[in-house]
Amino acid sequence: MSESSAIERLREAAAEQGVSPTNEDLEATVDFVARILPALEEIERRLPPETPA
Amino acid sequence: MTIDPYNAFLHLAAQPGTGGPVVGVKDVIDVAGMPTTAASRILDRLPEQDADCVGKLRAAGATIAGKLNTHEFAFGALTNSPHFGPALNPWSTAHSCGGSSGGSGAAVAAGLVDVALGTDTAGSIRIPSAFCGVTGIRPSAGLVSTAGVFPTAPTLDTVGPLARSAAECRQILETLAGRSLDPPARDLRIGVVTSLFEGADPGVAAACEAALRDLPGRLEPVTIPLHEEIGTITQLIMLPEATAVHLPWLRTRLADYGADVRARLLAGLFLPQTAHATGLRARGWVRDQYERALGGYDVLVAPAMPITAPRLDAVPPDYRLLVMPYNSPAALLGLPVVVAPSGFVDGLPVGLALTGRRGEDGVPLALAQALQERTDWHLRSPVDSGPANRLYTRPQQLRSEGEVNH
Repeated sequence: MSESSAIERLREAAAEQGVSPTNEDLEATVDFVARILPALEEIERRLPPETPA
Repeated sequence: MTIDPYNAFLHLAAQPGTGGPVVGVKDVIDVAGMPTTAASRILDRLPEQDADCVGKLRAAGATIAGKLNTHEFAFGALTNSPHFGPALNPWSTAHSCGGSSGGSGAAVAAGLVDVALGTDTAGSIRIPSAFCGVTGIRPSAGLVSTAGVFPTAPTLDTVGPLARSAAECRQILETLAGRSLDPPARDLRIGVVTSLFEGADPGVAAACEAALRDLPGRLEPVTIPLHEEIGTITQLIMLPEATAVHLPWLRTRLADYGADVRARLLAGLFLPQTAHATGLRARGWVRDQYERALGGYDVLVAPAMPITAPRLDAVPPDYRLLVMPYNSPAALLGLPVVVAPSGFVDGLPVGLALTGRRGEDGVPLALAQALQERTDWHLRSPVDSGPANRLYTRPQQLRSEGEVNH
């Protein structure tokens, strides 16, 4: 996914929650989001399903 | 000479008094009659009541000297609020004092106060303790009330003291907890987290290795299970909680946050709704593995931070990633950690982290006290911190209530 389309997706997600970040705000966030989402997916994949909170 | 050349305080009491230990309070913790700003442009409340922790110290005779600088909303590890300016490291004012309880670390190091209250969500007492060369303890989760403390991530937040010595930290923590933290009457089994020594700058690792020789107990090398995953799991819990706290202001006052805090709060907005629940479940997974691998150890030891304090104008771009492996495990699992001064590299302090079992805060405290009976790192001071430089002996130099040090 290109960075511009990733930023647009973040802008839409923010708007759905009533938040209006600037382009600069989103550019400062997009790399972090791009790192943590795959890490989250990896943890979801490895987490034993019977694990309680 | 200004009484606070380190910008440690955001607000000073008009009459700090002359009795009891002099305590500075991080400006996310309410003190009756003093503004709570969290070093932000957004929060500006004048509480009528002390936070529970402040009330307990005041009832025990402490004198409250004022409110201490912090990373904006305690949500970062540098204490460089764009609104109030950075707190400066008394060992070198060109260097960071760490954060988020940076004003607390600076005030104790400079001898402006006897004790400072800080908060630690994911390292915020430990990092400034290490960078400023003071002793601090992040208590076990739940040991100290957080009532009256502006939250960072409510299920991870803790309140604890920073002071010159472990003995002072014990005394304050016992007052905050309302019970004694008796030292153990047994030989301690101590795990040395080798990966954290290997990941530290050589000078830092060498100073901490030297300190190990002064620890009484059996030392064995250990590995923290799921260590690489723990940082991410901590973020999955912390970010959504912090973002939830701030959501009303994110909608109405987004531009009033500093850029770094704004970016991190927005990041929490972009995690899927399942992230927090996954983080909580993953915490159980980590706890189980940790207990199996390390449950037999009384204390784990490692450098508190892999580096000494960075220059304010040259903070490593990967600073946050450097911080996480050293601070996330105890944050995630609610473990008590004492940071004790253990040497210097190029004139800047190094701290050793002593991590105990949850609910056994007295154990790492006792070990730190034993270390401090054999070394004098905790007695080193960057300034003349004798009576002439104490706040409560120089009331004529205090700013009046209502004034803020910009």
